[in-house]
Amino acid sequence: MALSPALRQAYPVWPALFAALICAAPLVAVAALAVSGEWTGYLAHLWATRLPDYLWVTLQVTALSGAVAAVTGAGLAWLVARYDFTGRGVFEWLLAVPLAVPAYAAAYGWYDLTQGAGPLGFLPTVRGPAGAGLILGLTLYPYVYLLAREAFSGQSSDAYEAARTLGARPFEAFRRAALPLARPAIAAGMALVIMETLADFGAVAHLGAPTLTVGLIRAWAGEGATAEAARLALMLVAFAFLIFALERTQRARARQTNASGRRKPARRVQLGWAAGLGAVALCLTPVLLGMVIPLARLSYRALHAPVTRDLVSAAQNAVLLAVIAGVLAAIIGLAAAYALRTGKMRGVFAARTAGLGYAVPGAVAALGVLAILSALQGGLDAMWTNLFGTQFPLLVTGGIAALIFAYLSRFAAAAIGPSESALARVTLTLDAAARTLGANGRETAWRVHRPLISRGALLAALLVFVEVLKELPATMILRPFNFDTLAVIAHNYASDERLGEAALPALLIALAALPAMVWIARRIIRAEAAP
Amino acid sequence: MILDDRVLDVRAATVRYAPGRPAVDGADLRLTCGRVTALLGPSGSGKSSLLRAIAGLEKLDGGEIRFENRVWSGPGIHLAPEQRRCGVVFQDYALFPHLSALNNTAFGLRGGDRGTRRAKALERLKSVELEPRAHAFPHQLSGGEQQRVALARALAPDPDVVLMDEPFSGLDRRLRGELRETTARALRDSDAATLLVTHDAEEALALADTIALMSQGRIIQTGAPDAVYLRPASLTAARLLGEVEAFEAVAESGRALTVLGEAPASGFEDGARVCVLARPETIEVRRADAQGAPAVITGRRPGAGQQRLICQLEDGREISARTALTAPHRPGDAVRLALDPDNTHVIPAEAG
Repeated sequence: MALSPALRQAYPVWPALFAALICAAPLVAVAALAVSGEWTGYLAHLWATRLPDYLWVTLQVTALSGAVAAVTGAGLAWLVARYDFTGRGVFEWLLAVPLAVPAYAAAYGWYDLTQGAGPLGFLPTVRGPAGAGLILGLTLYPYVYLLAREAFSGQSSDAYEAARTLGARPFEAFRRAALPLARPAIAAGMALVIMETLADFGAVAHLGAPTLTVGLIRAWAGEGATAEAARLALMLVAFAFLIFALERTQRARARQTNASGRRKPARRVQLGWAAGLGAVALCLTPVLLGMVIPLARLSYRALHAPVTRDLVSAAQNAVLLAVIAGVLAAIIGLAAAYALRTGKMRGVFAARTAGLGYAVPGAVAALGVLAILSALQGGLDAMWTNLFGTQFPLLVTGGIAALIFAYLSRFAAAAIGPSESALARVTLTLDAAARTLGANGRETAWRVHRPLISRGALLAALLVFVEVLKELPATMILRPFNFDTLAVIAHNYASDERLGEAALPALLIALAALPAMVWIARRIIRAEAAP
Repeated sequence: MILDDRVLDVRAATVRYAPGRPAVDGADLRLTCGRVTALLGPSGSGKSSLLRAIAGLEKLDGGEIRFENRVWSGPGIHLAPEQRRCGVVFQDYALFPHLSALNNTAFGLRGGDRGTRRAKALERLKSVELEPRAHAFPHQLSGGEQQRVALARALAPDPDVVLMDEPFSGLDRRLRGELRETTARALRDSDAATLLVTHDAEEALALADTIALMSQGRIIQTGAPDAVYLRPASLTAARLLGEVEAFEAVAESGRALTVLGEAPASGFEDGARVCVLARPETIEVRRADAQGAPAVITGRRPGAGQQRLICQLEDGREISARTALTAPHRPGDAVRLALDPDNTHVIPAEAG
């Protein structure tokens, strides 16, 4: 029922406002930092030196990774949604699992395999913008795959069948009827891939493809020039927001094109054994290229290298951070979902603001948190000087809290979607039914909401868990002294050309993310299959 | 009427979602325990909003709802839905997807131990013939089964008032008939005051002891089914319950003369403009040589046991008449049409 303000507005909006603050504050801080100080002279200098290169490389890498992901993801989504062959049920979720592999891990593996002395040295070496685009496309294509598969299998077969009866051959019918209907979903998936590509640091740094993110980290690490880094960050964010806007509009369209009344799932076409074998080969290709081969190479290297540092504490740190961020993000996701449910202006505004964080690359979020911390320090110092004439006795370092702050700012948005769709299962009439049966608001939340949304909340938490586990640039910038995570250790070794030592931590990240990703993939596939 | 009847009284209830015309605009309604009242009206007439207001799911913007001596809704008063003891059968049933049929039914039961509650819920499911499906989940149940679970769930806590919002609308015709019987039986066994919201006149006539007609947020007529059907208060009211032919006429010494003949119009002053209403089945279709207005049959729509004839008068006006399917009328036949003076109803012309 569209109108029932009495029950709708019964939820508090303030948690979502708090979430919006967490997500937006770092971005605002970066913007403030960027516009402070001399601006035009710096820009001219930058334009004269490195900026054109950064931009050009960024364009190349994002274009290639987007294209690779779109073709791979959409093609396989069509295959899995419309054809039946041995192993289809497994590939349906397995095709999403390479998302567990951090792009830099795949980059280490492939670079090592294809460099001059490597076992696949006869191939062109995977490096430079082309190599980076390829690797990012092969590890990020699941974003396109998941959205396109949903679109293809949700599409009633009517359009495709109508095209066939009007004389179109199968491929033509796919191109002219099925594909245009799924195009918004594919575009939305591509936008996610491009945003992840923009945010990536580990892979592009290792493969020698200096994107804007690399420039930002160099500016921050090399000269400690946070203001300069902030200006680059602002450009990066502008780039990302363009893509983000594209993603939002395409998703809205994807919902429209799929909203066509009753869903009559298309009957899948049974493939013969030869064609079936071909389908299996096609499905195996991205899984092998994006996950199995690079991880196998890393395993090989890990077995033949000494364990030089204490990985146990780094692994504990990584998992701890990922768990905390995952749980908090799930809470933020639910807060936003409830705020959206109220339909109140500020609730919707807060939830949408929190959702913007997804477009903010990790390095930018980290920079923003740094800016906030230093502003806090400055404020405290000034206050203390006024009162006691000395500097504030403590140095404000965020420690783990600062890291979590940055993670949430970037990834909490990823938790909003799953929470929203989980809460959508609790229709307003279910609320009304529970209330008329004598349950008050709290009892309704416990007996009706909790069981219906708990799996969605777990999905949200695990999604963020995987993302945080793989995260590199924000962790590098914000980690406290003597605090390492697997990603940081792997990156440090890799940038010292000590790939043997980098292999094990990179592998451990993938192994830790794998079970979670398998659960996520199967959960998403099954949720769509259910009525 | 017995004086100590327990009643739910709605007085001048108003519900307003947005500025402009309210969804419910000063509606008056009285529900009596042990009786079924059907609230009939076209979509958008405010019936569902009124039902939701009674359940406490909407706040009143004016007027009052009271049950026995307690005010449920009124100025500054809004009793929470969970405190009203209203059982609601929602249009989409709103079954809890994570609970079995049995646990859905037991949801509203309070007090006693788990075993007692389960036994009571099972008893309820038995009364709607769903005991064998007690452990099935909503998505495993057919539409009709879901409807019956929703009914059992609403009745389980022995509510004082039962509200049903288009409970049969999602079901096919044959199933509807069966469920109507089950529902009527279950409702008779309970002593609740029942409100059935529907836009289906047939359903209202079949199930209700009283019919209330709603249009544009107001209750425009209340009464026994046959009384409301045969003696509607206005043209709008007449059309809500089915097809009707209306003839404008002028009252003359207690009679009104129409193209199809005279109708008794006692109680109207001479010269008053009136509207003579006749249901299609009360219009007599006679042979061409009999008395009445000459007409030609231009269309025939056979139905269950009856046929609807479209007859064109000499002035071109089309009249619907309904006769037995076995009557020998065919398109092209010349006939005479006449009113049955005992079964016409005359209202003031303004009321139309």
